[in-house]
Amino acid sequence: MKLRIPKVLAVGAVAAALMATTGCGGILSGGDGNASGDSGPIKIAAVIPLSGSSAPTGTYMKNGMQMAIDEINAKGGVLGRQLQFDPEDEACDPTQAAAAANKAVSNGAVVSVGGYCSGATLPTLPIFAKANIPMIIPAANSQELVNQKLPNVFLINGTGAQQSAAAVKFMAKDGVKSVALVDDNTSYSKDIASQTKKDLEAAGGIKVALATSVTAGESDYSSVVHDITGANPDMVYWTGYYQEGGLIINQLKAAGFKGKIMVADGSVDASLIEIAGGTNAEGVFATMTQTPDTIKGAETWIADYTKKFGSAPGPYSTQSYDAVRLAAEAITKAGSTDGDKIIAALNAIDGFELFSGPLKFTPEHTLSSGGFQILVVKDGKFTLHDDLS
Amino acid sequence: MSENIDSSTAPRLIGKPASVVSRLFESKQLGWAGFAIAVIFPFLVANNYAMNIATTAVIFILLASGLNIVVGYCGLLDLGYIAFMAVGAYTAGIVSKAWELPILFTIPAVLLMTVLAGLIIGAPTLRLRSDYLAIVTLGFGEIIRLTANNLTITGGPSGIYGIPGVELFGLDLSSPVMFYFFCVVVVSLLVLGSARLGKSRLGRAWRFVREDEDAAEAMGIHTYKVKLAAYIFGAMWGGMGGMLFAAHLSAISPQSFVFLQSALVLMAVVLGGMGNTRGVVVGAVVISLLPEFLRDMGNLRYVIFGVVLIAVMVLRPQGFWPARAYEPEKGEPNKHGPDMDDGGSGPGAHGRKRSRREHKKVTTSGQESFGRETSSQERGENA
Amino acid sequence: MTQLVWNGLFVGSFYALIALGYSMVYGIIKLLNFAHGDLYMLGAFIGYAMLSSVGIIPASMSITALLIVLLLTMIISGGIGVGIERLAYRPLRGSPRLAVLITAVGASFTLEYGVSAIAGPNPRVFPVRLQGQTFDVLGARVSAPQIVLMVIAVLLMLSLNSYIQRTSMGRAMRAIALDPKGSLLMGINVNKVITWTFFIGSALAGAAGVMAGAYYGKIDFLMGFIIGLKAFTAAVIGGIGNIKGAMLGGLLLGLLEAFGSQWLGGEWRDVFTFAVLIAFLTLKPTGLLGERVTERV
Repeated sequence: MKLRIPKVLAVGAVAAALMATTGCGGILSGGDGNASGDSGPIKIAAVIPLSGSSAPTGTYMKNGMQMAIDEINAKGGVLGRQLQFDPEDEACDPTQAAAAANKAVSNGAVVSVGGYCSGATLPTLPIFAKANIPMIIPAANSQELVNQKLPNVFLINGTGAQQSAAAVKFMAKDGVKSVALVDDNTSYSKDIASQTKKDLEAAGGIKVALATSVTAGESDYSSVVHDITGANPDMVYWTGYYQEGGLIINQLKAAGFKGKIMVADGSVDASLIEIAGGTNAEGVFATMTQTPDTIKGAETWIADYTKKFGSAPGPYSTQSYDAVRLAAEAITKAGSTDGDKIIAALNAIDGFELFSGPLKFTPEHTLSSGGFQILVVKDGKFTLHDDLS
Repeated sequence: MSENIDSSTAPRLIGKPASVVSRLFESKQLGWAGFAIAVIFPFLVANNYAMNIATTAVIFILLASGLNIVVGYCGLLDLGYIAFMAVGAYTAGIVSKAWELPILFTIPAVLLMTVLAGLIIGAPTLRLRSDYLAIVTLGFGEIIRLTANNLTITGGPSGIYGIPGVELFGLDLSSPVMFYFFCVVVVSLLVLGSARLGKSRLGRAWRFVREDEDAAEAMGIHTYKVKLAAYIFGAMWGGMGGMLFAAHLSAISPQSFVFLQSALVLMAVVLGGMGNTRGVVVGAVVISLLPEFLRDMGNLRYVIFGVVLIAVMVLRPQGFWPARAYEPEKGEPNKHGPDMDDGGSGPGAHGRKRSRREHKKVTTSGQESFGRETSSQERGENA
Repeated sequence: MTQLVWNGLFVGSFYALIALGYSMVYGIIKLLNFAHGDLYMLGAFIGYAMLSSVGIIPASMSITALLIVLLLTMIISGGIGVGIERLAYRPLRGSPRLAVLITAVGASFTLEYGVSAIAGPNPRVFPVRLQGQTFDVLGARVSAPQIVLMVIAVLLMLSLNSYIQRTSMGRAMRAIALDPKGSLLMGINVNKVITWTFFIGSALAGAAGVMAGAYYGKIDFLMGFIIGLKAFTAAVIGGIGNIKGAMLGGLLLGLLEAFGSQWLGGEWRDVFTFAVLIAFLTLKPTGLLGERVTERV
């Protein structure tokens, strides 16, 4: 008797697994019919991290996109059809990202507006390319995405190269003599840090006193703080995200660091100031594209967002919002949901207003100017310091 | 000498009449049935998403069967198995990109590098036992991932992209369905290979080492060599998995090789039933597909995944489909007492106890006295 | 140099507090409790919830409030640890050891993503943050909150040590770690001792969580993961199952990291740490204070 129970369980488990497989498959094969036909909703997919350590940013992005979708639908949709939003979780994991991208394609996505972690976004490029689905990438900005030279990929975030150029320009302007570069060892962060280092060395005049990395997700950064205070640079440039950025600012101040601190766009978030604590973040500079905070007339946008989702917008909320609007615009211009026509329409776009300014893509499908400017934390808020023009 | 201990024959010696179900499950045709299901699958559903997760699952089966050699057969706890997959994937990626080779031509390089990795990781550490070995393998896994993250040749944190798909005799197999079939064939052969290995002379030696390392040594088995062999075979399987993985995704980055992935492969092995290839295949399918089915649950999916894992293990601590040798023997009194054999029980000892012991003597004595007390109470009625 | 040593010791005392729980549980039921790091996270969130429900606390009261919260958190997270043991570990006590490892990973997933589902994935800022003067000690910059936390950590470790050395429950724990079968025969209530061990270990992790929250100021649902791995490493360095070893291992790991980062740069720090660990274990396979295990009686 004792023996049979496990056997039965085993049979059950196998049967369940089989049924699950075929059952799911059945549903899926139903969904494979192309929704990009001429009727029904137009599907906008987004492969973004909704679980794992990048989940907070993924949620900001999802909200931004949802907001744009709802606004467009309220105005009657695109080509007389409603937009349907299809966010897929990738947890910043390449394997899951590939699965999610394939799911989006199978679900009949017309345009993809996701892409946050560069490492997870890279494997999705060929999948969308094969299906001839245009990708408007709002956040991921590694140079490698550009290097693929795929016709369907468009980046609406400034690239790492543009950001580091802005950073170097400001350092020179501000009379900084030596800099410490700190990244968090992810591709986004390392990209900016190494590009900045290259630019600084090419330009000469400013010394790179230290270039080091930290491990994201920890609490204690005293060792890197020790290295920085040892090198004693005029400025620290942190190219990672706000979670660690806030802690590093806090610990630098506690260690008595007197130099300037600058952060990259991944750290521009109200939480950075909160995590840094007290007035520690006062006077911290940031390289950033335009944000709702620095754009005149964006107050209503922020208010709307806050009302809708119960929290203020965060990093990439605006870019994600813009990505959906841009997708809608391109579909309208193309007058069709055909991939080639939308790509042609995206290439032809000139002067479409984004948060970062009027849009025109370069031949590489990036923003013509990164639109980077320098913000500074004043009275507990990021405010415009220098537009670098 | 080792015939006495050969666990695959042990149940037959005991002479328990096999039930219909269990005969069905022991049937040799079962592997073919599984293979057939895998082959027929694309004819039922052929969209890209289904093909993608099916291919991922098939590759995961390969990883699990490789780890099964190390953990299931030989009883070496490895918490950094994904490192071998990383070595395989990076070797395939770098070699094929650098010399513009079709990815299948990288197989010799992949095998060479993974064997080397197995030797480097295994040689100095296999003298450690149990949990010390676990932390060392975990450490090696992290070292490999961080090194890949820091070096230029591996593409740093962005990794390597644009890895070519599979091409065979001028035939392009890179379409999702064709690549899936290719993976099914390769993985089936390798899974069969690992099952065969388990039954070979070497496989018997592995089991012996797992059951009782000192006795194995005393019986003239060179335990160090045998363990190293398990490590190297496991590494090769992992490397092949990495190669397929690289061809599948066309881009690899260090984020694919985090500790969590090692834990997932280990879960597949334990959940399926350590040491039993069929069980491990089932475990791998469950572990790789379950989170995918829960995808629409958002952040809750890992809560559910965690709860399911706990529930399954509590209900079936030996895994879905434990290796045959552990089937409890009928009719043996569930005795327990102070003067119990401290592990000296023979091959026919009752199942629970034996499998409990499979992880090293460091643990057994403590483990058993508790286990015996509770388990005898729990199982008193159905024994 | 002294700064590096101090930094290392300070981080190390966090590792040590968490490693203690690992080591105690391991010493008694030979389980690698992978959910242990998440109890640290849970402790931080419990403390956060309590402090923010109180409202604004005057700065002068913050230390007192923090100590009360610390105690309450220890009790609650200890209770949760016991609950996990009941639900996920005890039913498997007679099973293969790896099966319990899987439920531990399952428990870890459940805790992490359960907290994320309840509190949201965004990091939270701790309502109370310890601030204070800094002193110069032998060229190292040492701040008052650091000293307070170190004192608390040391007190917790010392009281644990005397608890284990002096009380009958502590004796029972030692007895089980030494010879489980024998202690069973001597009439020790094994289940009770195991429950108690989980309680203490989880309470210490919860305390470390509150302390980290109050000192660093930021908490998030994955904060337990890396530190859990580190604590595991620390426990092994010290000789897993050995209480003093865990403390020593934690401090040593903190020092290794501080110096590794200084010598090789932050991106190679963990490579350095693990490489040293591996080299060390190859030379001394039982950790710092671990005893040579008798292979078979």
